[in-house]
Amino acid sequence: MAEKKRERPAFNSDIAAAMSKHYRDVQTNKPMAYTLMSSNPLIEVAYAAGIQPAFPENYACVCAARHASEEYCETAEAHNYAPDVCSYCRNNLGYIYDPGGSPPMGGIGEPDLLLLTTSACTHYFKWWDALHEIYDKPLVYVNTPRVMEPQSVPDYYMDYAMREIEYAIADIEKITWVKITNDRLSQAVKLSGEVVDYWQKLLELQKAVPCPMDLSDLTNALFVLIVLVGTQEGVDLMKKIYDETRQRVAEGKGILSKEEESHRLLWINIPFWYKLGIFGYFEDRGCVFPFSDYTQYIWGTTRMDGSKPLESLARKALGGELNTSVDDQIGKLLKDIKDYHVDGVIAHSNRSCRVLSVGVLDAVKIIRQELNIPAVVLDCDHTDERVYSGATIINGIDAFLEMLR
Amino acid sequence: MPSALEQISSSVRDAPAVLQEIKNRTGRKMIGFFHPVVPAELIYAAGLRPVRLFPYFDDPITKGDAYLQTYLCSYLRADWDQTIRDRYRYLDGVIIPRSCEAVTFLYQTWKRHNPYQFIDYINVPWKRSGNAISFFAKELGRVKQGLEQFTGKEISEDSLRNAIKVCNRNRELLRKVYDLRKAESPPLCGAEAFSVVMSSFVLDKEEHSGLMEQLLSELAQRSQPPRVDIRLLISGGCVIDYRLWEMIESSGVSIVADDVNNGSRSFWYSVEETTKDPLEALARGYAMVPCAFNTSIGDRFKYISEMIREYRVNGVIFAMNKNCESEKFVYPELDKKIKDKVKVPTLNIETDYLIGMAPLRNRVEAFVETLRA
Repeated sequence: MAEKKRERPAFNSDIAAAMSKHYRDVQTNKPMAYTLMSSNPLIEVAYAAGIQPAFPENYACVCAARHASEEYCETAEAHNYAPDVCSYCRNNLGYIYDPGGSPPMGGIGEPDLLLLTTSACTHYFKWWDALHEIYDKPLVYVNTPRVMEPQSVPDYYMDYAMREIEYAIADIEKITWVKITNDRLSQAVKLSGEVVDYWQKLLELQKAVPCPMDLSDLTNALFVLIVLVGTQEGVDLMKKIYDETRQRVAEGKGILSKEEESHRLLWINIPFWYKLGIFGYFEDRGCVFPFSDYTQYIWGTTRMDGSKPLESLARKALGGELNTSVDDQIGKLLKDIKDYHVDGVIAHSNRSCRVLSVGVLDAVKIIRQELNIPAVVLDCDHTDERVYSGATIINGIDAFLEMLR
Repeated sequence: MPSALEQISSSVRDAPAVLQEIKNRTGRKMIGFFHPVVPAELIYAAGLRPVRLFPYFDDPITKGDAYLQTYLCSYLRADWDQTIRDRYRYLDGVIIPRSCEAVTFLYQTWKRHNPYQFIDYINVPWKRSGNAISFFAKELGRVKQGLEQFTGKEISEDSLRNAIKVCNRNRELLRKVYDLRKAESPPLCGAEAFSVVMSSFVLDKEEHSGLMEQLLSELAQRSQPPRVDIRLLISGGCVIDYRLWEMIESSGVSIVADDVNNGSRSFWYSVEETTKDPLEALARGYAMVPCAFNTSIGDRFKYISEMIREYRVNGVIFAMNKNCESEKFVYPELDKKIKDKVKVPTLNIETDYLIGMAPLRNRVEAFVETLRA
C-alpha cells in the first residue's frame, strides 16, 4: 500500500511536538489523573485545578499507530480481559500489566487519581472501575444521562449534570487541597471556548475544493481539541492550525490538487489507527475525506462560555455523538454530505466501538436511499490490529472505488 | 390440579402461547422491557401488562443481522430478530433502559423501524447518590407521563402504591423460595428456581404470587432430597438458556444461588412502601439492582460474597454471553476478589444463543471434579 509522498500541512509537526510535550508532562507533572476523551467536562476542571490530565484512549491510538497495541491487547487477554472488551481498554490494561522495555512516547505513567465521566460508552465506567481496583487511587465520577432525543433535552438532565460536576469539583478539591475558584474555572472554560471556536471555523474550511486537509490531518488536530482544551497552549496551536489551513484555502492548495481531487468521501466511525496510511491509498486514487462523524460531531460541538462555566461544562457533558449515537446523527450526515460535496461513504463497523457502530448499518442504508451515493461497510477494529485483514479491506475499498467511478 | 412447579414450567416453556392467551383473555396492552432496572410497577399502574423480553430458544437469527452486527450480544440480536419477524405479536410497546451498548443503541433502530405503538427510553443512573436518585425519580416521572399519554389515563398515586405492593409481595415470595436453597438438602434445584423466576416475567404478578404460595406449601411436603456436596453460584448477565442450568446440574451438583439478570438481580431489593413520593421509592429501589453495567466491582463483590456465605457456596461459575462486554469487563477483577478474599474456586464459560452444550459440559464436569477432589 505504498502511497505517494504528499506535502502535509506544516501544523502536523507542531502537533507532534505538542504531543511529545504532553507525554513528557504526563510522566513528570503531579498530580496526574487518568481521564477520558469523550465530551468530558473534567478536562477543563483538571486544568483549572492544576492537575495534569492523561488520556489512555489517546495513548491507545499512539500505541496502535506504532504497532504496539497488538502486544498490549494480548497481555490484557492473558489477564482475562476478553477480546470482546474494547481494544482501547485492552491496550491500556495490557500496558499496565506489562509496559515492556520501551513503551511508545515513554509510557503514560501511573495516575494519582482517576477522573471519570459517563458521557460515552458503558465501558468508561467499567474501565475506570477496573483501574480503581488495580491502582486503589481516588475515583471522581460524573454520571450524566444519555441524550437520546437531543431536540428535547429535559431541564432536569442539565440540573443533574451541573450538580454532578459541582460534586466532582468538591471531591477534587478535597483530594488535591487545591481550591478551584470560579476565576480559574471560568478561565479554563473561556480558553476551551476559544479552541472550540477555531475548530468550528476549521471544519468550515474543509468545504473548500480542493480539500485543504485530509482525515489524517484532521484527526491529528483532534489532539489539540481534546487534550489541550482549556489551556492557552491549546488556543495558540489551534489558531495556528486554523491560520495555516485558511491560507491553504486562499491559495487553492489542497491535499490533492483541484485536478487530482476527483472524489470526496465521508468516513463513518474511528479510523484504523494502526493503518492511517489507508488514507494515502485513497489519495492515490483521487479521493479525500473532508469530514467524518468522528471529527465532526463528538468534540467541539458545544459553545463554551467562560461567564457560565458550570452550564457550559454540563452542556459539553450532555453533547457530542458519543452521548447520543450515530443513529441520531443521520440527519446531520445527510446535510453535511451535501455541504461538503461528498459523493461516497466508507463506514467502519468497529467491533470495539458499539456507540458508533450499532446504527451504522441503518445509517448507510438511509444515505444510499436518500442521496443515491455508493457506500461500503468495512468490518474492523480501531486499535486491535489483529482484526484487520488487509486483503478483505482492500478488496472492499477497491470494489467501492469501482462503484464510485 | 397440576402442581405449582408444573404450572411454572409450562408457563416458561410455552411463554409465547401463554402471553398471547393472556392478551386475548384480558385485552390488556402489553409493554416489553429489557433488564431488571425498569420498574414494572409503572407499567402495572398504567393498567398495562409488563413483559420482560427474552428471545425464544427455537430458531436461528435470520432477518436481524441486516440491522445489528454479529459482534453484538446474540441474545439481543435474537430478540430483535424475533421482533421484526413478529414473534412478539402480543406486544404493544417497549421500554429500553440505558444499559449495555447493544440495548441502549437499539433504541434508535427500534424507533426508526417502529414496530410498536409505544417506545420509550429510561436513563438509569449508574450511581446511588442522592443526586442520582433524585434524577432517576424525575426520569421515571417522564416515563409515567408517556405511559399516561399512551393509555389516555392518569396513573394515580394509589394505583402506583398498589403496584409497588403487588410487586413487593412477589419479590418477597421469590426471596422465600430462594431462602429454601440455603438448606443442606435444598428442596428445589437450580433449574427449578430458574423456572420460578422466569415464570414471574410471563405470568401476572398476582397470579404468580399465588403460585409461589402454592409452591412453598408443596415444597414443605416434598420428601427430603439427598444432601448436595457441591453448591454452586452462577454469575453472568442474561443466563436464560434453561439447557445450561440443566446441564450444569446433571453433573450431580446443585446451583443454590445466582447473580444473574434473570435471577436474584430481578427481585433482591424491595421498594419502600411508606416513602412520601412513590416515584422516589421506585428510583431508590431500582437503582440498587446490581447489573454489571451500573454496578461497581466492589458492590458486585459484596453482593456475591454475601450470597456465597449465606448459601454456603463452594464454587462459582461465570457464564457470560459472547459479546457481553459489561460482564466480561467486570470478570477479571471480580474473579480475583472471589478467589483471593472468599477463597472459592471459579470457572469461566462463554455462552451464546443456541450454543451446543457438549463442549461446555466437558468444562463444567472437569470443574466439578476439581471441587470434589
